[in-house]
Amino acid sequence: MSIPLLICDDSAMARKQVKRSLPEGWDVNVTMASNGVEGLDAIRAGQGEMVFLDLTMPELDGYGVLDAVKNEGHKSIIIVISADIQPEARERVMKLGALDFIKKPVDGKKLQDVLKKYGLI
Amino acid sequence: MKESLALSEDQRDCLQEVVNVAMGQAGDSLARFLEVFINLSVPRIRLVARDELNRELEAMVGGPSTRVSGVTQGFYQMDNGRGIRGEAIVVFTDSSFKELADLLAYDGEVGADAEKELLLDVTNILNGACLHGIGVQMEAELGFSPPTILGQHVRVSGLLENQKVNWDHALLVEISYTLEDRSFSCTMFLLMPGESIVVVKAALDRLLEEL
Repeated sequence: MSIPLLICDDSAMARKQVKRSLPEGWDVNVTMASNGVEGLDAIRAGQGEMVFLDLTMPELDGYGVLDAVKNEGHKSIIIVISADIQPEARERVMKLGALDFIKKPVDGKKLQDVLKKYGLI
Repeated sequence: MKESLALSEDQRDCLQEVVNVAMGQAGDSLARFLEVFINLSVPRIRLVARDELNRELEAMVGGPSTRVSGVTQGFYQMDNGRGIRGEAIVVFTDSSFKELADLLAYDGEVGADAEKELLLDVTNILNGACLHGIGVQMEAELGFSPPTILGQHVRVSGLLENQKVNWDHALLVEISYTLEDRSFSCTMFLLMPGESIVVVKAALDRLLEEL
């Protein structure tokens, strides 16, 4: 069965970059969200077993999404993809339950390395 | 004229993401310099007419009478005389400036010379990282002219009064760096005038085609 995959980023270009970087033949069912509120709604609706999450977003930022996912007890696997390359940003998202952090602009090799590292592909 | 300069929604989105990546690099550099965590927000992009610029600046810092210090620095594409060019203006409110001196453990009053040095240091850090980041993504090698102090502790409404403005419309990109638990905020304005917008639009179209 396809994995429900959510790509949550306020930039259409960034969402496309992530989608384009997904491994070929990976059996996923992709949902797109353009801010944290939409992203959280999608997760609540079961569309985000796997999530690629941006941090700097309007409405609700990535930290807010991570926080809500934790509080509401969703089992989503969340990988943060952000331009905020401060070491503390990484530490904060890891504390909030993110699986890993990939810096922008995302490239296919890096994304696939991370997925392999955790046995997700 | 203005219509041909307006960015399409795709172009605006693409530029915002390019700036977002560059802003992240600049935020990291500033965070390392100040040894703090910098909060980033979504960059804002719009086309402004010459007579709107002051109002935009004033709105950003909390009104025309807010006292600020500001530095401007020109940038230009080194490998193409008719390429991207513009101006990067970094503005600190007076209250932010005090926080900055405090963070860097200046004792007591900061003298005028030390202040200038501090202004130029932070401007160099932000402009260097941010413009370099934008240039790399747009495949343009950007050079800088030396930074100039626009004013220290002046009303923001007068900050640009001695600046020669030789454009009718410019693309304004606004980037804010703020700190948690402190009133520090520093705003960077990138202004890219008239014909430079056309070059930027073409560069954005190339990026969009690669998608």
